[in-house]
Amino acid sequence: MTAVASHLTPLPKSRARKVKNFVATAVIGLAFVVALVPLVFLVVYVVQQGSKVISWEFLTEDLPFVDRLPGGGMNPAVVGTLLITGAASLMAIPLGVLGGIYLNEYGGRSPLARFIRFLSEVMTGVPSIVMGLFIYTLVVLNTKEKTGFAGALALACLMLPIVIRTTDQMLALVPSELREGSFALGSRKVRTIRTVVLPSAAAGIVSGALLAVARAAGETAPLLFTIGIVREANTDLFAGQNTALSVQIFTNATSPFSVQQDRAWGAALTLIVIVFVTTIAARLVTAFFARRQTA
Amino acid sequence: MAVTAPPRPNDSPAPPSRGLGTGPRPPGILTDHIFRWVALASGLLVLAILALIAYTTIDNAWPWFRHEGLGIFADNWDPAKGEFGAGAMIYGTFLVGVIALVISVPVSIGIALFVNEIAHENLRKPIIYVVDLLAAIPSVVYGLWALAVLTKPLADIYQSISDATSGIPIIGDLTANPSKSGLGYMTAGIIVAIMITPIITSLTREVFATTPPSLKEAAYGMGATRWEMIRGSVFPHSRGGLVSAVMIGLGRAIGETIAVALLIGSSQHISENIFGPGDTLAAIIANQFGEAVGIQRAALIGMGVVLLVLTVGVGILARGIVSRYDRRSGAVA
Amino acid sequence: MLRSLARRGALVLAAFALPAFLLGNAATATTASQAKLASATIDGDGSTFQLGFNQVMIEGFKQQQRAVTVNYQGNGSGTGRTDFVNGVVDFAGTDAAYKSTDPQPSKPFLYFPTVVAPITVSYNVEGVKLNLSADTTAKIFSGAINTWDDAAIKADNPKAKKLPSTSITVVHRSDSSGTTANFTSFLTKAAPSSWTLGSGSTVSWPEGTQGATGNSGVAKLVKDTDGAVGYVDFSDAKASDLSYASIKNAAGKFVKPSLPAAAAAAQGAPANADLTYDPINSDGAAAYPITSPTWIIVYQDQSDAAKGNAIKGFLNYVYGEGQTLAPSVDYAGLPNGLLKKAKAQVKKITVRAS
Repeated sequence: MTAVASHLTPLPKSRARKVKNFVATAVIGLAFVVALVPLVFLVVYVVQQGSKVISWEFLTEDLPFVDRLPGGGMNPAVVGTLLITGAASLMAIPLGVLGGIYLNEYGGRSPLARFIRFLSEVMTGVPSIVMGLFIYTLVVLNTKEKTGFAGALALACLMLPIVIRTTDQMLALVPSELREGSFALGSRKVRTIRTVVLPSAAAGIVSGALLAVARAAGETAPLLFTIGIVREANTDLFAGQNTALSVQIFTNATSPFSVQQDRAWGAALTLIVIVFVTTIAARLVTAFFARRQTA
Repeated sequence: MAVTAPPRPNDSPAPPSRGLGTGPRPPGILTDHIFRWVALASGLLVLAILALIAYTTIDNAWPWFRHEGLGIFADNWDPAKGEFGAGAMIYGTFLVGVIALVISVPVSIGIALFVNEIAHENLRKPIIYVVDLLAAIPSVVYGLWALAVLTKPLADIYQSISDATSGIPIIGDLTANPSKSGLGYMTAGIIVAIMITPIITSLTREVFATTPPSLKEAAYGMGATRWEMIRGSVFPHSRGGLVSAVMIGLGRAIGETIAVALLIGSSQHISENIFGPGDTLAAIIANQFGEAVGIQRAALIGMGVVLLVLTVGVGILARGIVSRYDRRSGAVA
Repeated sequence: MLRSLARRGALVLAAFALPAFLLGNAATATTASQAKLASATIDGDGSTFQLGFNQVMIEGFKQQQRAVTVNYQGNGSGTGRTDFVNGVVDFAGTDAAYKSTDPQPSKPFLYFPTVVAPITVSYNVEGVKLNLSADTTAKIFSGAINTWDDAAIKADNPKAKKLPSTSITVVHRSDSSGTTANFTSFLTKAAPSSWTLGSGSTVSWPEGTQGATGNSGVAKLVKDTDGAVGYVDFSDAKASDLSYASIKNAAGKFVKPSLPAAAAAAQGAPANADLTYDPINSDGAAAYPITSPTWIIVYQDQSDAAKGNAIKGFLNYVYGEGQTLAPSVDYAGLPNGLLKKAKAQVKKITVRAS
């Protein structure tokens, strides 16, 4: 240890240490740049390639009959992505929020709640392709048809553990004093949850749900074997096959025909816009409510 | 909305005009019980779904386990001859995961440190926003972009590296026979690295942010440079969380399907050529599912089970390491 | 540059398709047009080999029968056959018959041959027109030959100018494929001593080879990789502007892949009672030895009247205008004898009146 008496005049740092510090700072900064460059490049490239193809016709016309000929649009895929993701959200979000409420408000640290928390974590790690296989063997083989709903089920299974975990974590952030105050005023649990806890955690829960939606919208593997393909938009999720942007990108990405490659870029741009809008909405919700609460 | 109390017949003092005792009757104990069971059922849904997944997949994969026994780990994927060893795919899954981690972890730590310690206050939020947005980009878009933009330049780079290292004993073997198309373990590893960087970064950033300011100030107080402070205060404190973040990143890398399916080259052999083609568990399922022959389909579903076990195993390992470090450092688990 | 070439290629294809289509429509006026079918949707799945043809069929059929929608997904012959067995689709496209080891459909079903076309051995080597014998092809795809200037390749091409020393990158299918089955069947028949990897929808390719999904995936990979070689259906190879080799047939002649050569191969192959047949390595001086057949499989008993009639209508279209339209997308129509039998077989489909 250095001499205590000299603590008022700081010891000069040796050259070697200064150099090390500088190098380390430079390397860290470099890592940052290295990481962001490909990511930003990707978005720019997608926008560049996709905007060549994007047009009102692209979004509203049916898929062409013959893949390798130009023309047609991605309307069925846009409709499919929105409907299937929407249906999955309708199933997963309410159930997920309820599950999260159970874990935090009722289960606490009980063995059952800990077990369910553990399982939720395991389930977030299940690869999406396994979800697709699961729904294929359970639903498609038994109903003997590929439908948009089967795809929605697979996506809902992906979203459910994410929503449960974020709800659980957000609810845990609500200070217990708020709950206790509500109980002290004579409210029962349900009323407390409804009027005190949920509104406090609402921003975080909504944000977490939106992030799960964004993730589901971009998924390909669960839909590959479960929804089939169509050329015209199918708004009935329970009857007939369907298609989605992610699946179209996957199919077209490996094609040697430039028209198909162009369509893939257009679909990629559309999908990225949908995903980004949802993600940004999640952030805005958090920011908006945070401001409201501190005001 | 003020509710006036009805006139009271005797002379006891009127209760306050709002609040307790007035207004619509709150939900009773029955509602509470019902709601509790509904919430419990939702929680148990996770249990039910996982159990169902485990059951249906293992049931459908059983013919494979029975057919191969321990041979499921052999490197002999040859459906035409009735051999279904998944050794090459397990090898490929780990190789791609390791490559991805080797590239991604240092970069993620760098970004996290940059954001937390070096960047200006005003830069932090925008950078975090951007990183989160990039985490949202779907895997298939990464694959499409890599196919269009990365594979050709990478093929040339592999060729140059291969030529440069051709004589060297061990490294030369690793870099021999680079893939001309650019598809293979390394390319898939690079793309997966890009994909898992956002999540490892955000986890690492959160871990670093829990370093007590007093610890940091103590280091500065002793005259440390910023780098020395990071090494002395931030890193030791964050060891457990860092390992956990790395494990979570590995779990994501193992399960990455679509981008890998597009970039891996689909060659089912254990190969030491990291620049050459290979295959992974998730990619082969995506590419080959729907096989007519019963055992091949069982094998693909079985590989899904193996993948699931690996992912769960990594997750459990991560939690185990975290709790061990937490117990050691005395922090609350 | 390649992209604009491909774009031009696509436009040329469209230019050919349009007049052929109009001609086909004119022909419709003279042949007996079918009665208007009730509204129905029929879903199919399977072979990517017939995908190009099916898409043109679906489009043309839609013009005739506006109330019927046909969906066809190209997931590979193996997936098609499996989905058909599981009842997940109404019909399937396959380039290979069910093997005895495959799960079989539980109800009686019918094979309907639709078109024939060559499987090309496409390659990415500048400025060379290659002849390949079956033996050399087998050696290339099994990894015994590694570079384009190998002695065996030179022996097949004595008149060729200097062959480059680029290493060969073999591209094959990563999904379950009837094209793989037919290609490997050719190698097993024509070069049994050099090809030991067997034959089937998936084969254990040697180390260092690359896989791609679908015929178009292989075409793209070959097109993008210097020194690559792969087996691609004629339609995709032409549309992608690939170079392909002339293969030595059973009669000892090097035959370039073409529709007449494919038709010659189909002529020389006797058909079984169930209309399966094998034009691979067919006799005949003009026959292209790697000619692939392809079928649509359908259940004999159709319980849904609207779907059953739609399927019959679609098949009749394929055997009518379809045969005339086929060359416009680089497929050859069926030989006359087989076509007659196929048309008769459509009548065997019984539709339950509901």
